[in-house]
Amino acid sequence: MKRLVILAALVAACAPPPKKDYSKLVSSSPRALLVVPVVNKSVDVDAADYFLSTLSVPLAERGYYVFPVNLVKRMLEDDGLSDASLVHGTDPARLCALFGADAVLFVTIEQWTAKFMLLSTQVTVEFNYVLKDGRTGEELWRDHEVGVYASDSGGGGLAGAIAAAIVAKAAPNYMPLARQANARAMAYPGPGFPAGPYRPEYQKDLPAPAAPESPAAAKPAAPAAVQPAAVPKRPDPG
Amino acid sequence: MRSPHLLGALAGLAGLAPFGCAQNSMYRWGGYDQALYDHYKNPQKRDEFVAKLSGIIQQAEATGGLVPPGCYAEYGWALYEEGRTAEAVTYFEKESKRWPESRPLMEKLIRNAARAKAPAPAAAAVPATAIEEGKK
Repeated sequence: MKRLVILAALVAACAPPPKKDYSKLVSSSPRALLVVPVVNKSVDVDAADYFLSTLSVPLAERGYYVFPVNLVKRMLEDDGLSDASLVHGTDPARLCALFGADAVLFVTIEQWTAKFMLLSTQVTVEFNYVLKDGRTGEELWRDHEVGVYASDSGGGGLAGAIAAAIVAKAAPNYMPLARQANARAMAYPGPGFPAGPYRPEYQKDLPAPAAPESPAAAKPAAPAAVQPAAVPKRPDPG
Repeated sequence: MRSPHLLGALAGLAGLAPFGCAQNSMYRWGGYDQALYDHYKNPQKRDEFVAKLSGIIQQAEATGGLVPPGCYAEYGWALYEEGRTAEAVTYFEKESKRWPESRPLMEKLIRNAARAKAPAPAAAAVPATAIEEGKK
């Protein structure tokens, strides 16, 4: 029974997500994204850097140029912006001008916690992602993700083994949950980013009515199906 | 009946974890995110970080896989921080050439690197400063 609960939570990550207004993001159509250091509201001081390391890959895989996060972090530090909340408080246009970016992604860790109970451990991560335009500073996109992993220490089998890998008593490993949250946040169609210029389906996967001006294409581009290939199957409860 | 189904689904999900829902990777990352993570976890193991970045680039180039955006620059920056300015510039140039979006920043970094090199002869004009000696 416990296994089923965990599996359902994992499968939900791939379920078709709700619709979202993409008009601002589409009309801004950024190519180069700046990812600045993460603001950390959790008590785990290492969380910000650890989480920062997970952001480049899924973003770049959406087809955007992503500025190297460690270089950006170090350059900002050299400029006296070593505190992430200072960076987040800086005018997005100024930040983007500094690096030549089209838009800047601000990520905040709301939760990064492990709760140890008598027979189980619960690991929770919660993030807010906000993308702002590099010229106007306007918000282009936002998402919010929560990832929870609960295990009972007595659980056996494969599910138990996986849970054990995430929830090692001494040092719970948040990274799988963090990566899953990013994958959900950035997946498209859904809450995430339409294909960027380096993906073959660039500008062919946009929601039909939202596009303010048909982008270059002479023909009305067929609503190309860029559905994720994996069709989540829920386990038969019978 | 239920068991094989569960096992299959879990195995599939485990494989997909880094890239979300069944997307093929566009680049050859070679553990870039892991290298960053390890670097933040053990900043004192800097050599390992630099070597890993170098390895990622070499592997991606050798196999014809695309070097991911930012990797040349990240490596260039690591070299720059080590004081290996000339090598750093090579990689800033590679990033700039491969990813036009990076050009303004790379040009800035290349100018900075040139300036970082410039003070050396000026300092040499001053009779051997203890600081410069200490650095060697």
